[in-house]
Amino acid sequence: MQSRIKILTRSRGLENAIIVFILLFLLNLIFPQHDSLLLFIGNEILVFVTVYLSFNYASDFLNSKVDSPLSLVLNAGILAALIFFIISIVKALLGSQTSGNGFGFFNSLFSVLLNFVFIGATVYIFSTFRELSFLRQKKDPSTYFNTMLAFFGLSFISNLFLKFDPTFDYPKDSFYVVTIVLIFLNSLRVSWIAFLTKKQKYYLLIISVVLSILFGMDYAIVMESNIMREILFAFSPGLHTFISLVMIYGIINFGVIFFTTLFHLPTAEAFDRKADEVSSMMDLTKLVTQVFDFKELAETITTITTRVCNADSAWLVTKKDNNIELGSVRNIGFVDADRITNQLFGSGEKDYDTIEIVQYDIVNHTVKNHEQNFKSIAIAPLKVHGIVNGYLFAARQRDNNFDPDEKKAVQAFADYAAVALENAKLIEESIEKERLEKEFDVARDIQRKILPSTIPTSDQLQISALFVPAFEVGGDYYDFFELEDDRLGFVVADVSGKGISAAFIMAEVKGIFESLSKIISNPRELLINVNNILKGSLDKKNFVTAVYGVINKKTGIMNFARAGHTPVHICSSEKIERHQPAGIGLGLDYTAGFAASIKEMEIQLKNNDIVICYSDGIPEAKNKLEEDFGYDRLDSILTKNYSENLDRISNNIMQELTVFSQSHSQHDDITLVIFKWNQKK
Amino acid sequence: MADFNVNLRGVGSVSVIDVKGYLDAHTAPELENVFNKLLDQRQFRVVVNFDELKYISSAGLGVFMAYVETMRENSGDIKFSNMKENVYNIFDLLGFPILYEFFKEEKEALQKFDSQG
Repeated sequence: MQSRIKILTRSRGLENAIIVFILLFLLNLIFPQHDSLLLFIGNEILVFVTVYLSFNYASDFLNSKVDSPLSLVLNAGILAALIFFIISIVKALLGSQTSGNGFGFFNSLFSVLLNFVFIGATVYIFSTFRELSFLRQKKDPSTYFNTMLAFFGLSFISNLFLKFDPTFDYPKDSFYVVTIVLIFLNSLRVSWIAFLTKKQKYYLLIISVVLSILFGMDYAIVMESNIMREILFAFSPGLHTFISLVMIYGIINFGVIFFTTLFHLPTAEAFDRKADEVSSMMDLTKLVTQVFDFKELAETITTITTRVCNADSAWLVTKKDNNIELGSVRNIGFVDADRITNQLFGSGEKDYDTIEIVQYDIVNHTVKNHEQNFKSIAIAPLKVHGIVNGYLFAARQRDNNFDPDEKKAVQAFADYAAVALENAKLIEESIEKERLEKEFDVARDIQRKILPSTIPTSDQLQISALFVPAFEVGGDYYDFFELEDDRLGFVVADVSGKGISAAFIMAEVKGIFESLSKIISNPRELLINVNNILKGSLDKKNFVTAVYGVINKKTGIMNFARAGHTPVHICSSEKIERHQPAGIGLGLDYTAGFAASIKEMEIQLKNNDIVICYSDGIPEAKNKLEEDFGYDRLDSILTKNYSENLDRISNNIMQELTVFSQSHSQHDDITLVIFKWNQKK
Repeated sequence: MADFNVNLRGVGSVSVIDVKGYLDAHTAPELENVFNKLLDQRQFRVVVNFDELKYISSAGLGVFMAYVETMRENSGDIKFSNMKENVYNIFDLLGFPILYEFFKEEKEALQKFDSQG
């Protein structure tokens, strides 16, 4: 119930205050003098309620506006000055008159308005005091404050007793004294001063002494017997008491503020620095996660280091494989920073694993005039997972050394730099990885486009071709060329190496085979020519293995030559043979030795003979015992599946190969080309 | 997988490289470094001991091709020894035995260098 009333009065604070204001206004206009007791009591109660409600409203209003303490202080000061100004004017204008003779309408209107201004101003000042004593309090200060409020009220009301009996003044006096004691206790709540910056503290020091004196003057003026006191007293003695108490509150509060600020001044700088450090750390934390550019972050770190650690210069170096590189500098030239860094590290034996302060003027004997003359330098390692990736330097020209706090701060900034450096490195690596993956995509794309899209299979010569790319693109290539006289040329080749370079060589090899196949029908001669052409374009360490052959579809005669490539298997109904005519890989030898090594073979195929060519991805596939798949396994699959159709044979080979090498990922391309010759009936 | 080791030792005027494990595109640069070091020191007579090599890929073969010419131009050579059969088969398929000298034992390779002066 009580809380509901509270909510009701709070939520309609302004309306309530205005209604009471109007009531009070009308009452005083109608009855300018409160001679009768009833009128007097009624008026006192109305004034009390007005003050109470407007205080409620004002403190709510101030509460919602979270202002800085300094502006609160200034607000109170301006109002105190206003009161002083009004009183002075009133005194000057009406000083000669006595209140006894002017009961005109305007007189009473003026008196009421004046009192209202006083109510407004003092209530507002009072609310700001409340705000100030509530600022930055860890415990709830409202008990103390509410006790004080109660005694404010009691002092107010006790004026009623005086009305009955002017000698009966000890209740009022004792309430008054207790209130002042409580005011003093509440005024001690000034911890917010500690959180002001040094500049603000100086400012507050001056303002508080001025305001303390101003409130003192206001108090004196209100208490001495003059026209103003009479006007206030005639309106309401309680209000007069209230105003004088608020003035005392002002004197005490600002006095306390003045002395507290004075005592806080010596530590103001240290406090500023701590606050700066904390906010810098917060900024850095944000930066570390947002900035991917390490240079930018290094700039921020050196700037903050000079500011927070009272260093004249700061610089940051990164270390990679024992190479030290300057990251960023602040208040020092790149050349100087580089020179000093090298000097500090000497011949490389010295490494600063933990933060160290070096007396630089002892280390350095040869300071030239134009160079900065540092006295002490703090060196903090940038460490992540125990590995030092660089150093942060903070240097001072003054005699005073870095204190433990500053040392800690330098290390803290160095730690941030270390994390940021690590982040930047990780991002770079992931970009590099992505780039490589893109490269493989390109290579795979080239490879797919190079391989023939259609296979020239016919009744006489059935063909099946299978290509399985590895994750890292190898350089497998196969192709078919329709030649004159019902002949078919074919090539299966393997470029050494992987990735985009292999893909490019493959593209070149395709071009060479395609054009030479139209001119040269002899496989041996063709390979010799391919080798000659490749001489100009192949790297020393690259080579290409290939088998090139020509099958006469009508006669079943197959001519082929091999350049370092896997053997050709020919499987007939009764037996299986591996043919490996001599021949070294393309690109291994560009002398006459190559031609000398190449031997050509001619084989008469029989009806239903199967010929298979493949890349080394098949025989070199490994099982978990690190054994090769080899040729024999391939042969046994061929023998078993001899009568199957070609695609089936191809599938079975791949299936067995997959099962065999399931513990390994496929690391080389696999190419498998199978021919079957049917004699024309 | 990429478990490869290379060791360099000098036997008289000849440098012997012991290769161990898997020599492929990923580990080939390690072997290249050793060869570069030899060129810097102007050591052109090299025996590669394959005793503990388990596998060699085309990129591994490429390393020898890249350096053999320079060695020979400076009256040196790269000779191979102690090769296991499966590794030899790869060299053989490509026709390396036509271009390079292979020996069963490292000693024989060293002797061959000695006899050449």
